[in-house]
Amino acid sequence: MSSPDVVSSKPPLSRETLRKIADVCLLAGQLLLQYGADAQRVEETVHRLGTALGAEWLDILVSPNGLLVSTISHGEFRTKMRRVVRHGVNMQVLMRVDEISRRAERGECDLYEVRGALETLAAHPPHAPRWGVIGLVALACAAFNQLMGGDWAAFGITFVAAAVAMWVRVNMTQRAFNSLLVTLATAFTAGVVVLLVVRLQLTTTPQTALTASVLLLVPGVPLIDAAEDLMTGHLVIGWARGVQGGLISMAIALGLWLAMSVLGVPR
Amino acid sequence: MSVHTWLDLGWLLLRDAWWSAIAALGFAVLFSVPPRLLWGCMLGGAVGHVVRTLCMQVGLSIEVGTLLGAMAIGLLGEWLARRTRAPVQVFTVSAAIPMVPGAFAFGTMLNLIDFSNTADASTGQMLLWQAAYNAVKTALVLAAIAFGMTWPALVLRRRRPVV
Repeated sequence: MSSPDVVSSKPPLSRETLRKIADVCLLAGQLLLQYGADAQRVEETVHRLGTALGAEWLDILVSPNGLLVSTISHGEFRTKMRRVVRHGVNMQVLMRVDEISRRAERGECDLYEVRGALETLAAHPPHAPRWGVIGLVALACAAFNQLMGGDWAAFGITFVAAAVAMWVRVNMTQRAFNSLLVTLATAFTAGVVVLLVVRLQLTTTPQTALTASVLLLVPGVPLIDAAEDLMTGHLVIGWARGVQGGLISMAIALGLWLAMSVLGVPR
Repeated sequence: MSVHTWLDLGWLLLRDAWWSAIAALGFAVLFSVPPRLLWGCMLGGAVGHVVRTLCMQVGLSIEVGTLLGAMAIGLLGEWLARRTRAPVQVFTVSAAIPMVPGAFAFGTMLNLIDFSNTADASTGQMLLWQAAYNAVKTALVLAAIAFGMTWPALVLRRRRPVV
C-alpha cells in the first residue's frame, strides 16, 4: 500500500517531533528484532506505535542486520536506520513492547512515557533465575529421552549431561563468545558427558540419551521465524534466518561428531 | 478392540502428553515466557504430540501426523492468544519443540559418520541411501511443523498489509 497523500485529520508535526517518533520507533523495533519476533510483527508493531504517537504514516524496512524507519506527516518526513544484532529469544520482551504500543494506541501514554518504558525494558530485560532455567531445560531434554523410547537410566544420564551443557552455554554466552562456537562447545560437552557415563553400561539406549541431551540447542525460533517470514513475503530476512538455523544445526552435529570421534560411537 | 488394547492406548497417550508437556515447559522457560502463561505452552505441547502419536497409532505416517499435530497447535495457539491477549508465538513455538525430528537428524549424522569411515563400495552405497532417507524424513517433518505453525496466520487472519 502506498502512503496516503490525502490530508489526514491528524495535526501536522514538526521535524523535531518526527525525529523523536522515529527514534522511539527504532528502539521498539530493535527490541522486537533482537529478541526473536518475525518481520511481520516488527512492521505492524512499529507502525502502530508511530501512528499512535501522531505520525500520519510510517514506512519500515526490516533487514537481518538492521531496521530503517521513515516517519511522515503532511509531506514532511524523517528517516533513520539502526543496526540490530541478535540477542536470543525473550518472549517477555516481545509481549511488553506489544503492550506498550497498544497503550500508546489507546492514548494512555505519550512519547516520553513510551521512551522511558522502552529504555527500562532494554536495560533490564526480564528473565527467569539461571538455575531454574538450567534445571527445567535439563528436565525437558530428559523428557525427550522418554518420548523417543529411552530407558530410565538414559533419562538420568540425559538430565545430567543436558544440565552440564546448559551451564556451559549460559556461561559462554555471558562471556560474549560467538554463538556458533557456543553451540559447538555445548553439543561437544553434552556428547562427552553422555559417552563417558554410558561406559558404565547402565543403559541399553545410549543413542536416545545422546540425541536428547543436545536438543536444548535446537534453533526452533530462527527456523519458525524463517518459515513465517518466507511465507509472508519477507524473503531476505527469511533466508537469513533459515541459514542461521541451518548453521546452528550443523554446529550441533559437528560438536557431537567431535565427541564421538574422540570417545567412539555408542551401539 | 478389546478393553485391554484401549487401556494400553490410553496409557501410551497419557505418558506421551505428560512428557511432551514437560519438554514444552523447559523450552518455554528458556524462551522467557512469563510464568502466568506457562500452562498454555504445556497444554499446546501435550495436545500437538498426542495428536501426532494418535495419528501414527492408526497407521498414518510421521509426516502426516506431525502436520496434523502442528496444525492443532497452531489453532490452539490462536485461541490461547485471544484469551490471554499475548502474541501467538509465545505459545506455538515452545509447543512445537517436542515434535522436532531429533532422532532422524541424529540418524542422518550417524550414517554420514559411518560412510566417512567405510572403504567398501556397497556398504557405502547402503549408508548413503540410509542417510538420504533420514535426511528427507527430517526435512519433511520440519516442513510440516513450519506449515502447521503458520497456517492460522495465513488463513484465519487475512488482512490487507498495513505497511
